[in-house]
Amino acid sequence: MGGVSEGTCSAAPGAYPCSGMHTSVVYATDDAWATRVSACVRRGIERDERLLYFAHRTPPETVFATLADRGIDVAAARRRGQLSVRTAQESYLAELPFDPDTVIRQWHTATREALEAGFTGLRAMGEMDWYGAGVPGAERLLEYELRMHREAFDLLPLAAMCLYDRRLLPDRDVALLEAAHLSRIREPGERLHPPVLAVTPLADRPGLGLTGELNADSRAALAGALATLRHGSDGDEVDLTSLVHIDAAATAGLAAVALRTPARRLTVRGAPPSLLRTIDLFPELGAALEVPSR
Amino acid sequence: MTTTSLATAADRAPAQSFDHRALLYRAPEQLTERAAAFVTEALDAGQPVLVALPAPAAEPLRDRLGPAADRAGWVDMTVLGRNPGRILSALHGFAERHPGRAPHIVEEAVRPGHDSARVREAIRHEALLNLAFEGRTASLLCAYDASALPSRVLDRVRRTHPLLAAGDGRPGAQDRSPHYTDPLRICADCDTELPPPPGTAELLPYTSGDLSAVRARADRWAEESGLGPRRRTDFVLAVCEATTNSVRHGGGAGTLRLWAGDGAVRAEVRDGGLLGDPLAGRKRPDPLSPSGGRGLWMIHELCDFVELRNTPDGLQLRMAMSLDGPPA
Repeated sequence: MGGVSEGTCSAAPGAYPCSGMHTSVVYATDDAWATRVSACVRRGIERDERLLYFAHRTPPETVFATLADRGIDVAAARRRGQLSVRTAQESYLAELPFDPDTVIRQWHTATREALEAGFTGLRAMGEMDWYGAGVPGAERLLEYELRMHREAFDLLPLAAMCLYDRRLLPDRDVALLEAAHLSRIREPGERLHPPVLAVTPLADRPGLGLTGELNADSRAALAGALATLRHGSDGDEVDLTSLVHIDAAATAGLAAVALRTPARRLTVRGAPPSLLRTIDLFPELGAALEVPSR
Repeated sequence: MTTTSLATAADRAPAQSFDHRALLYRAPEQLTERAAAFVTEALDAGQPVLVALPAPAAEPLRDRLGPAADRAGWVDMTVLGRNPGRILSALHGFAERHPGRAPHIVEEAVRPGHDSARVREAIRHEALLNLAFEGRTASLLCAYDASALPSRVLDRVRRTHPLLAAGDGRPGAQDRSPHYTDPLRICADCDTELPPPPGTAELLPYTSGDLSAVRARADRWAEESGLGPRRRTDFVLAVCEATTNSVRHGGGAGTLRLWAGDGAVRAEVRDGGLLGDPLAGRKRPDPLSPSGGRGLWMIHELCDFVELRNTPDGLQLRMAMSLDGPPA
């Protein structure tokens, strides 16, 4: 695989971290959106990457016009096949329900095509407000965002900027999805309450970090985390150091992931007292997990 | 074995089905004698034995049994029976671990001096044993100190045990209890109205989205009330499972009350649910079952005392934790 497209990351394929590859942008004004998108495009042109913008509500011509207004030679970039705008509906939402496996495969294909066309890599921007639009499979977006780190950004000369418009998504959804990115940009003044449970890829090793509480109110976030872990491999780690409480159902969920694959080790670091007590009551859950003392 | 001569003919008969009998003893030596005979007979027959007695009753029995004592399982009823709602799970679990055999169990769930609420829940436990072990081959010898327990308790013992084994010096006396009563009727009798929480109790209504805030408040309150870290973990975990049940199965909302007094902290959850199965939470669940069913069993294991009532307004679940209880 060729070089990576972000100067901050020089990790070899398969190694962590590539935290600069996957960035969230939380904004609430058209100007903030235009500033971030044009900066991203400009960087991609400088690095001779192919640029793909996935629009959901913004008309493609508005994207082009905005970039041109910000001084980017849109016409030249389009002529050489470097810049294109596609709608989510005609790309990764063309086949529903939204399926992370399918979309991750598409990233591999699109990145290979960019390399075959002579570019150094692929840089993508995507409007994520479809999450709140009742799209079938949207509940798997968190799983997708989390899995992308290991299954795409870690392997490909690919960078992506996920655009979260607070005018179009509830804050709780924005906060949850933003946490799945290792690189986060928030416009000044954009304050969000942390989600009940934040799930974040571990920056320096395979696995996830969970912050907040795991209870019935964070079951959807847990489902995303567990689905991600199911696609992980032996030795993955779940860091609960910043987790205040985990209920029994969630502890059972973690154990079930480990038990799915015979002899798979799932290390639970920093387990809160509630987890330790639960596996005391249910030793079979504890036997499925590797739980070093906190 | 000299002890076998002390067993009645019925005591010695191999258990063909669930054999649940009360032993009303009048002196500790009688309990030791009869229990030793029961245990020895079962061990000699190669059957699994569990002795669930308070330590003061277990020690002389161990001495009496000698090396054979090591072939039986032993559980300190002082610890297990602190919450009568978890005894059944322990006994049932023992039977489950010995499929195809005839487990023999000695237990003493009620002691003189237990308060009326604890006696009530122990009586409920005895009634529910008849449902939980129905159709199973097992033999339970349940000891009661007839010299010290009030007659109203002994009356209830006769209603919850299909068989009565004499322990009062009348050799061979053993019979079906003429007062044996449908276990569900006993449970209904035990469903007495609980005394209301004090007006000063902390009141926390909750619904979906509030679980973290309720947990945090319960944790802080328990700490301020003097509950140590390990028991606070248990208490808060129980409160969390109870409030989660409200949100998921109890109509989506509930009310938590917290109060302290008489050396204990108490939490009461009320919601719109109803408990249909009287055995719910009294058998160890599969923690990996997708249908859940963990919460109530965990609450029984975690708390020192649990009372559950179906009321006209829904479910009332009261949990207590002693401030001076064991550390875990």
